[in-house]
Amino acid sequence: MADIVRKKVVSVEGATVRERLQAMDDSAVVTAFLGGEERAFSELVTRYQTRLLNFVYRTIGDREKAEDLVQEVFIRVYRHLHRFDRSKKFSTWVYTIASNLAKNELRNRSRNPLVLFQTVQKNFQDEDRPLQFEDPTSRPDDMYRKRHLREIVEESVAKLPEHHRNVFILRELEGKSYEEIAEITDCNLGTVKSRLNRARNSFAEIIAPYVD
Amino acid sequence: MDCREFNDQHLAFVDDTLAGIELVRMQLHLAECRSCAKQDAKVRRALLLFRNLPSIEPSADFSERLEARLKASENDNLFLTTQRNLRRSAIAATVASAMMLGYIGTTLYSDTPRDLVMPPVVATLPEPDFAPITVSAPAIVTSVSAGLTLWPAAVFAEQVPIRFANSSLELANYTR
Repeated sequence: MADIVRKKVVSVEGATVRERLQAMDDSAVVTAFLGGEERAFSELVTRYQTRLLNFVYRTIGDREKAEDLVQEVFIRVYRHLHRFDRSKKFSTWVYTIASNLAKNELRNRSRNPLVLFQTVQKNFQDEDRPLQFEDPTSRPDDMYRKRHLREIVEESVAKLPEHHRNVFILRELEGKSYEEIAEITDCNLGTVKSRLNRARNSFAEIIAPYVD
Repeated sequence: MDCREFNDQHLAFVDDTLAGIELVRMQLHLAECRSCAKQDAKVRRALLLFRNLPSIEPSADFSERLEARLKASENDNLFLTTQRNLRRSAIAATVASAMMLGYIGTTLYSDTPRDLVMPPVVATLPEPDFAPITVSAPAIVTSVSAGLTLWPAAVFAEQVPIRFANSSLELANYTR
């Protein structure tokens, strides 16, 4: 009986801590984690897992690998959070790690054509699976149109040069400021603007024949 | 505004970060240049499509897999740290044993007698025992036949620092 009561108290306390963590900004959550609150790390994972997954997936185009890389990002965050310069934004740091891992993955693929081939093959197999993004209550022809459009957009993004694509995704999908993108990609502001302008124009050119 | 300037400013124009006057100039150019208006519409439509891409969600077992990987990584770290410490201890022990064996070997089995090395001797000059001249020796006064009376000199010698006076003052004997 006493155990049950204690468990209840712990769970209530746990819920309170979780709620408190949810209300905190990133910096405060990081401080809580460094102060020994392990649940703070779960809060960081919850906040960033989807955003990072989308970013990495749009960059490398392989869903499974993207999940692996996002997990690797969190492992690195867990290991090196004590070294993180807290005068900077946590999100910028996390995206920098993710961006570097994605870049390495693309570099490895270009060095190893077999991996590239396997990835392409896997993506073909993926097409046979039902898509979870579309509303299953939609009409089949509408679903097909949406799915087709999604594929076209993804293919068009994949056609952008890597350094343009990275900047493009960070800006258009993640809504990062030019300054943050400059920090994440380790470029100066002028380069970021020029790459983004080119990426936008190229993307518009690539996709135009499909949507006109 | 010409088309080149329009293109240069287009990034800020799409992001709505242009100052008022620049914004008006861009809009005016759009109204009068069909080519730029077409390009602007093309970019905006493409961006709209991209920004509306459906978001993908992590798989259901994402958290469990992450937790497992974190645990594995912690264990790896622990294992690596232990291994590193063990390796360091082993290396240190080996080096110490080798040095000890070498020392024992050289001391036990060396045939040639080694020279006895003594610590260097530091010679020190004993502090001279100076005694102040309290009584002026009449011999000084009487022994020098310089035509001058030496008594003031003897008084002077008494007054200078004792070391100096004592080391330089000698009794002269001209009778020998």
